[in-house]
Amino acid sequence: MEFFIRNRNIVAFVGFTLFCIVSLSIQSTTFVFTLEGIGSAFMSPFQKAYDGIQGGMGRLWAGFTELNEVREELRKTREKLQQYESIAEELNEIRYENDHLRKILNLSERIGYESIPASIIAQDPDNWFRTLIINRGKSDGVMVNMPVVAYKEDDKAVVGKVVEVRGSISRILPIISSDIRVGIKLGEGREPGLLYGASSNANVCVIDYISRAVPVKFNEPVITSGQGGVFPAGLSIGTVIKSEVLESSAYQRIIVKPVIDFNHLEEVFIIKKEPDKELLQIFGEVE
Amino acid sequence: MTVIPYIFTAVLIILSLIIQGHPSFDVISIAGVKPDLLFILIVYLAYSFGSFYGEVTGFISGLLHDAISNAPLGFLTFPKMALGFIAGMFGRSIIKSNIITVSLIIFIASLIKGLITLILAYIFHQASISTVISIILPEAFYNALIAPPLFFIFDKIYEKELEREGF
Repeated sequence: MEFFIRNRNIVAFVGFTLFCIVSLSIQSTTFVFTLEGIGSAFMSPFQKAYDGIQGGMGRLWAGFTELNEVREELRKTREKLQQYESIAEELNEIRYENDHLRKILNLSERIGYESIPASIIAQDPDNWFRTLIINRGKSDGVMVNMPVVAYKEDDKAVVGKVVEVRGSISRILPIISSDIRVGIKLGEGREPGLLYGASSNANVCVIDYISRAVPVKFNEPVITSGQGGVFPAGLSIGTVIKSEVLESSAYQRIIVKPVIDFNHLEEVFIIKKEPDKELLQIFGEVE
Repeated sequence: MTVIPYIFTAVLIILSLIIQGHPSFDVISIAGVKPDLLFILIVYLAYSFGSFYGEVTGFISGLLHDAISNAPLGFLTFPKMALGFIAGMFGRSIIKSNIITVSLIIFIASLIKGLITLILAYIFHQASISTVISIILPEAFYNALIAPPLFFIFDKIYEKELEREGF
């Protein structure tokens, strides 16, 4: 016993090192998940409280300073509303026509999904990982692998997918993370490819597996393919800003700027689409 | 030590994790890299109060860091704990505290922490050597830049305890 007390520095170091090695080796087990859950449950009230205080102070300050901006926004919104009212009538006609044509062609109806609004309360506190924590969890019906979207002005676009769900919070893996894999279609040619985050500190994505022979234009849109079992087809992701052809590869490396500005992202929507388990099993890590 | 410094340490750990994780903190990130306040605190505690205090604080705060991060449990804990242990060997009695030494200690400690994390990433997660340029070096510079004012604040917080230790 005296030996342990006399050499407590070394004993603690060896003990802690062993603990770290064991927990890293047995990732994704109930033991590790429970320990992480305890830590997360301990920290989440502080995170929520800080977010509440910071948000409250921000709103209070905005009340004093943003009155003119709000007036201008209101004027613009009224103008837009008038435009949309006229579009709505036109849209009803188009919808009717679309349904009619779908019936003729014997196509199944598109399924609309409900969504859960959520606020981002924290980010990954380390530079090595890029996840977002939202204030909705299991109690709100959130499930792992549900897609997450957000709006930028009028455009709806992909933010990422849910990777961890706890009682009242969840973790999102954004499309700018190098850990994610999303099946996409590129441009008018609908070329299929695989998208992931470019690096740990850049807000751009990379598309792989697009043949060198495919012509890629600047600003071409990138959408989800819907083939991975997580994201519905046709969701906007971003636009092409650069294409690199490497001598050593049969594919191009395409850099994509996401529609969503991840530096200013505050509100997101979780699409209540249950993941296709069969597809996920087939694809493994992809999507 | 009395109970008060432990309470200070617990509050500082929670505060560091909240600040580092909140989106409003993005304002001070340079080229997408944030300083690691928690790590600076651990090195300060090890440098001022010895290896044992440093490694225990590094271990406990590292576990909390792992729990709220997407990192596998132990991934962020081990480098913090190891650097708490190492920094404690070069305490105040060996290296006197001034702006240059503080910046240098934090810079070197941040580099070692980054390299340990990179090795762990290679073994247990996924890693790219480009992270040396994109994360490790910028973070080390950033940590070294903000360490002197933070050490000054910590000196004020732990003033009585430092006096008791004879500094």
